[in-house]
Formats: sequence, structure tokens, C-alpha cells
Amino acid sequence: MSTPILQLKDVSIYQGDSLVLSKVNVEINKGDFVYLIGKTGTGKSSFMKTLYGDLPLTEGEGHIVDFNLKTLKESDIPYLRRKLGVVFQDFKLLSDSTVNDNLLFVLRATGWKDKAEMNARVEQVLSKVGMKTQGFKYPHELSGGEQQRVAIARALLNNPELILADEPTGNLDPQTSIEVMEVLQEINKNGNTILMATHDYALLLKYPSKTLKCDENQVFEVVQRKG
Amino acid sequence: MSSYFEKVQKRRLISSYFSVVLSIALVLFLLGLLGMLVLNAKKVSDHFKEQVVVTIYLKETAKEVEIKQLEKSLAMADYVKSIEYVSKEQAAEFLKEENGEDFMDFVGYNPLQNSIDVHLKADFVTSEHLEKIAEEATSKDFVDEVTYDNDLVNLMNENVKKISFWVLVISGIFTLIAVLLINSSIRLAVYSKRFTIKTMQMVGATKQFIRRPFVWKSVRLGIIGAALALIGMGIVLYNLNKTFPELELLSKPFLVVLLFAVVFTLGIIITWISTHIATQRFLNLKTDDLYY
Repeated sequence: MSTPILQLKDVSIYQGDSLVLSKVNVEINKGDFVYLIGKTGTGKSSFMKTLYGDLPLTEGEGHIVDFNLKTLKESDIPYLRRKLGVVFQDFKLLSDSTVNDNLLFVLRATGWKDKAEMNARVEQVLSKVGMKTQGFKYPHELSGGEQQRVAIARALLNNPELILADEPTGNLDPQTSIEVMEVLQEINKNGNTILMATHDYALLLKYPSKTLKCDENQVFEVVQRKG
Repeated sequence: MSSYFEKVQKRRLISSYFSVVLSIALVLFLLGLLGMLVLNAKKVSDHFKEQVVVTIYLKETAKEVEIKQLEKSLAMADYVKSIEYVSKEQAAEFLKEENGEDFMDFVGYNPLQNSIDVHLKADFVTSEHLEKIAEEATSKDFVDEVTYDNDLVNLMNENVKKISFWVLVISGIFTLIAVLLINSSIRLAVYSKRFTIKTMQMVGATKQFIRRPFVWKSVRLGIIGAALALIGMGIVLYNLNKTFPELELLSKPFLVVLLFAVVFTLGIIITWISTHIATQRFLNLKTDDLYY
């Protein structure tokens, strides 16, 4: 029996005043790879935002890693995010620093002190995503796929218990999408839990896994036909 | 190719910092000049107040010992700046020069009295004080009369009050402008980094951790701006002092140093607080609100 890392019970999610999702019941266990699919505007991003504390949870019960989303205080949000790794569609790298500095910033921000350890960790995560030799470059000098790899490396820095990927392949061409997907699959095999929002059905077919669907204000599990 | 790009980028960055530094420097410079004005307004008004003369007319019968004693006691008094004994011969001489004719020619004798001119310290030039001093002197039986221009004193005090009030009001407005101008420059600088700030939050940095480098950078700009302002003030002060040595601008070095220190501290405090508020604003926004 694996332990749930994410547990939502009767959660309603609002964007402003309008209801986006209601009565959401989701459970994700350690080591899972879960897709979250749905058309744009069905609440995938709002769902993700609620999980990393960018939208407050006002209705229902939610537990993620060791935090209770319902009682989450503003000052706890940074500490919640340190236990999650978030990967965005638009990468969100710091454009004015090199890849290495991007990663070092996160380490410094999350309380790492030892220079040698920090450099070693940066090298470690970069080699995991196959970007070990590109650390000196600025984000704008990298291709989209490379930037996304760096973003994934950044998400891995603090050994997160759950990686939230919000359409990580949304800005990438099919070939690069598959490369990024391979990286995520690899990470998942090493024991990291991943929740990935996407509308790229080709990927679902190629890498089938547990899938949640957002539609008409509901989130429900869909069963994929194999073969 | 990329080195050219970086050069352009850097130049662009430097010029945007430059405008922040410049606006801080100019505003603090103006504020400093105003401060100098305030400091020296007191000096100028004191200068005028100390021109007020209280003349003690002595009777013919007054003995030299008594006069000497009065002079001594006046010189010792804490409200007196300087005294001057004017004999009636000197007074006649003075009048002669003033009028261009010798009135003794048609009066036949010198009707003037021996007198002591008393200059008071500026703080004591008020009607009440003058009255008290006059009373004290008149009570002596060898003193004939004490005169001073009461209307002039009242007028002067009133004007000084009015002018100081307006100088204070203007200083207040200037300080406000300083804060607003510096604040808006810094706000723009922080605003341009709002997505960076959000990204930093997304990866688990605490607000304080994100804010610190911003505040430190602005304070550094503030220090540079304040230093420029101080250099400007120094140059103005040096030249004014050279052109108008009678204003004695540097006679109280402590005040000048204090003014410089205040301007410098203001540069730091204003940038500190502005950056704190500006970054806090963007730190507290939800991601969706950043696009407005």
C-alpha cells in the first residue's frame, strides 16, 4: 500500500468568482505518473495553481505532501513549493542569469549554504536532463526544449516529493516534446511522483499511464484502451 | 555576435539605473540646497536682528565709575552681543557727517547726550525682552532714557515667523516630491522585474529572500545618488562661500556636516522604504494579476 502524496476531497476551485471545478476527488500515490487532460479553459491550470498555492483552496479538503491546503498560510507557501517541483509551459527561467545561476539561485533561496555541495547538485540535475555542458549559457541562447530541460532540472533540485508539470510540452514541437517526455519518464522511473497537465494526446498514447480528465467542471479518471 | 548583444543589453541596463541615480541625486541635491537655505535663513534673520540697537542715554551727571560699571554689567549679561560707548562728541561728529552740516554752528552748544549702544543676541530681540532690559537700565538714576525701535522689532519678528513658516512648507513639499519621484523610479525598476519576482516565488524562495537583493541594489543606487548630491552641494557651498564670505556659511561646521549626513541618510531611507513597498506589492500579487 503506497501512501498518498496528494489527496483532494470535495474540492471546488474558483477563478475569481466563477466556479471552474467542483467536487474534485483525487488521490495520487507515491511513484505515480498521472496525466491531467482536458481542453483549454477546463481548469487544468487552475487545478495546478491550487496545488502549488497560487490559488487559495476555499472549499473542500486538500492535502499535498505534508501541507493542508485549506489551512495553508501565506508564509508557508514557499516551504510547500520547496517540496514540489513545478514545471511550466513557458519555462519561467530567470532570463538575466545563466543556467547555472538559475539553479544556484534556487538552491540559495531554499537554504543551501555549502558552495561545493551546491555546484555538485547543479551538475547532478543537469546531467539527469542531459544539459551538463550548457550551464554557462543564458536561457535565451537555448532552444525551447533545452530551456524546458533546465526547468525540469530546476524542479528536481530539492528532491521534490511531487513534480507538477503544467503543459511542459505545450510550447514544443512533437519531436522535442518526446525528448522532454523521455526525461520525465526517466525521472518517474527513479521514484519521483509526477502530475502532468497536457492536451497532447499523442504523448498519452505513446506513454500510457493513469489519466484524469477535466471536463464540464468535473475531474474524473479515464480508462485508456490499450493497444 | 552575442557579445555585441550583451554589450547593448548592459548599456541599456546601465542607462536605466542611471536615470534612477540621477533622479535621486537631483532631488536630494535640491533638498540639500533648501536645507542650507533653512540653516542660513536663521543666520540671516539673526544677522538682521542683531542690528537692532538699544540706546541707553546717560545723564550729564553720570559719573565715569557708574558708566564703567554699567558697561561691565551689560557686557557680562547673557543677552548682550556687544556694547559700544558713544560720547556726545562722537555722536555730534556722526551727525555732522550724516547731515553734511555742523548743527553746533547754529545751536551753539552740543545738546547730545553720552550714550551706550547695546546690540542684543538674536534670540533676545523680542518686545518683551527689550522692555525688560529697558526697565532695568532706566531704574538706574544716572540713566536718562532708553530707546529702541519697537515697531521695527515687531515687524521683523513677524516677518521672520512668516518666512520660516513658508520655508518649512516648501521643504515639506520638496521632501514629498523627493519621496514620490524616487519612489516612482524605483517602482518602475521593480515593475520591470515582476515576472522574475514571481518566478522566484514559484521555486520556493521566501519573500524576504527575494526582497533582499532588490533592496540592497536600490540602496546602493541611493548611496551613489546621495553621494552625487553631496558633491553638488559641496561645490555650491564652496562657491557661495567664496562669493559671499560675509554669510559665514561654514561658520558652524557641525551643522553643515549634520545637513550632509541627513541628506545621505534620506537617500538610503527613501530608497529602502520605496523598494520594500514596491517589491512587497508584486510579491503579494497572484500570478494572474501581473498581466494588468
